[in-house]
Amino acid sequence: MNSYKLYKLICKNADLQEKRHPLIDKNRFMKFLMVFYWLYFAAILLFMGVVMAIGMKNSYNGVAAFHVFDGGMLYLLIIDFWLRFGLQETPAQRAQPYALLPVRRSFLMHTYLIRSGLAWGNLYWWFLLVPFGLITITVPLGWVAFFGWLLGWWLLCIANGFFYLFCRALILKHLAWTLLPAAIHGALLAIMLVPDKNPLDMPSTLLMYSFLKWDFLPFLCVGILILLLYKANFTLQMGMVHAEIGKKEDKEIKHATQFNFLNRYGKLGEYLKLEVKQRMRNKTVKMSFYVGIGFMVMFSVIMYFTDIYDNLDFMRSFICLYNYIVLGMMTLITIMCYEGNYIDGLMSRRESILQLLTAKYYFNVLLLLIPPIILLPLMIIGKMSVWMNVGYFFFTAGVIYPAFFQMAVYNNNTLPMNTKITSKQGNTTQQIFSTVIFFLPLGLERAATALLGEPWGYILLAVLGLAGIATHRLWLRNVYQRFMARRYKNMEGFRASRNS
Amino acid sequence: MEIIINNLRKTFGEKVAVDIPDLTIHSGELLGLVGNNGAGKSTLFRLILDLIKADTGAVYMKDPAQPPLKGESERVINVAETEAWKDWTGAFVDESFLIDYLTPDEYFQFIARLTDTSDEQLQEFLAQFQHFMADELTGQKKLIRTLSAGNKQKVGIMAAMLLRPQVLILDEPFNFLDPSSQNAIKHMLQKYNEETGATILVSSHNLQHTVDISSRIVLLENGKVIQDIDNREHQAQAILENYFEINE
Repeated sequence: MNSYKLYKLICKNADLQEKRHPLIDKNRFMKFLMVFYWLYFAAILLFMGVVMAIGMKNSYNGVAAFHVFDGGMLYLLIIDFWLRFGLQETPAQRAQPYALLPVRRSFLMHTYLIRSGLAWGNLYWWFLLVPFGLITITVPLGWVAFFGWLLGWWLLCIANGFFYLFCRALILKHLAWTLLPAAIHGALLAIMLVPDKNPLDMPSTLLMYSFLKWDFLPFLCVGILILLLYKANFTLQMGMVHAEIGKKEDKEIKHATQFNFLNRYGKLGEYLKLEVKQRMRNKTVKMSFYVGIGFMVMFSVIMYFTDIYDNLDFMRSFICLYNYIVLGMMTLITIMCYEGNYIDGLMSRRESILQLLTAKYYFNVLLLLIPPIILLPLMIIGKMSVWMNVGYFFFTAGVIYPAFFQMAVYNNNTLPMNTKITSKQGNTTQQIFSTVIFFLPLGLERAATALLGEPWGYILLAVLGLAGIATHRLWLRNVYQRFMARRYKNMEGFRASRNS
Repeated sequence: MEIIINNLRKTFGEKVAVDIPDLTIHSGELLGLVGNNGAGKSTLFRLILDLIKADTGAVYMKDPAQPPLKGESERVINVAETEAWKDWTGAFVDESFLIDYLTPDEYFQFIARLTDTSDEQLQEFLAQFQHFMADELTGQKKLIRTLSAGNKQKVGIMAAMLLRPQVLILDEPFNFLDPSSQNAIKHMLQKYNEETGATILVSSHNLQHTVDISSRIVLLENGKVIQDIDNREHQAQAILENYFEINE
């Protein structure tokens, strides 16, 4: 078999691996949702492209719309980078099945890296770029300029993709490497947001303009950047293949903390210990916690040090609510999915699921003590009201969490806890649910504060929350009973998606 | 503890995984379940443990703790309708029974606390298994997921026996174990059966071990019971060797 045929075969296998994922293969509704989700966001991007083109064309006299757009190039690339988590696996993770086949590992690595570079995902932003460019570039500068501009964006996305793969591989080695992209992007955001005028606006604009003019030098520079990142990935990932194939977590854990103070709570205490240890000892679970905290701190810092949200009540409310629900959202939307790994053991104990759900609820309510600490500086300087925090604290614990817990009845896809960081985290239904659950409370808060005024609107949210907290035993038992009614279907799903 | 299987049928698409019209496993029996791959052994265990749904029929256990209903001599419960049987049933089918981010000590302690076993009782229990564990399980800071397949198997089997169940179900307990551990398991199961009168169900591809320990052997083929052999005098050996064509 020649190299090209082998390349095609490996690519075909990779496509089949995605297509035949147990969650998608036998689930028509899931297939429909996947297509719907894909088209939905494509439509949003198309719409945004048109709206931005028209808006910028009319609003920025004297400055071409595409210059204004290109000035924000780095924002788009930062968003693109973080969206890749959960959508793209590292090549090393896919090499294992070929370990004993007569395929050179270097060839395998080149195949996966080239496939990553040429992936359709790198063109997804074109849904935004094409309508924008068609309206703002083709008319004044022609089609050649338009294609140069698109090509430039595509190359930047490829480079961004390789940077992501590089970071991702490092993060697989150790979670602390998450700080690398976080620090780089944090620094870029600070440079762009803190000064009155974004100093990176002009360089971004010039770079994109030179693509548009088909200048040779920027293409060469981005090409060299891609090659360097490709080489760095190749070297790093080759080392990772050995680690992935011979993966064995052989070392002892440093601290086997027993949390004996929880013994007084009997069986519930045992499940609480399980919750804590699940978060401490599994990379994926730990990672979602850190990412949640990271986003909370990031939003709060931006709000503290800049005035961009000062006159936007909606954004203040958004950031406050986000801080309260993000930790719960990251783990409770996929509630029971980690437990899918040992569901048979849990199901062979009487009412263990009820105890587990109760422990999960208490644990997540305890986590709600973190947001007020992070938001305290904002409350002190008066950028966020104490009442808003009180309202969202109780509303999250008593209304939003019960809504999240409903997912325990329906979730039936096992998620890996420790092997594939943030890959295939949650399915489309879970993502749609998280979107709905996020924006409904915001609407309610807007309506409540508009009708009743600032403190009373939040007091209403708090009262609703307190009612949910007071009745938690009732609704938890209801969730448990409905889970048990669906147990066969769920267990089948957990088994089918385990180790996939 | 008696287990009654009545008109039990489970199919996966066209494939019949289990089709047992009537089978009673009597209290105190040590039943060996044998059959080729795909015969339905693990599926039958999962049905007994209510981990999958039967197409038709049911599995019943007699509940000694409850007074009989009017007109009945004993209280019989359907495992799919109540969780009471979980209090007296221990099982290990595969790794999905293990919480692998705990150390073996933590896992045993977790199971012990759920089953109201005191720390002293747990230590006594573990002491009996000291030789079996070969100093590789307790007192270590290794998580279960880092253990070898054999050691994971040991943890699962011990955890299943920890609550001193009246019904013990083990799927392929001899897998992954070294010869001395396999022997140790055999003796432990026989001893436990004799001491407690528990009903024990064991599936295995190891005919010798199965014949050695079982008082009764059920041979499955395509989900059906094709032989139900009284093995108190080890008379199943020849029948099984003939069926599996071992000596040809």
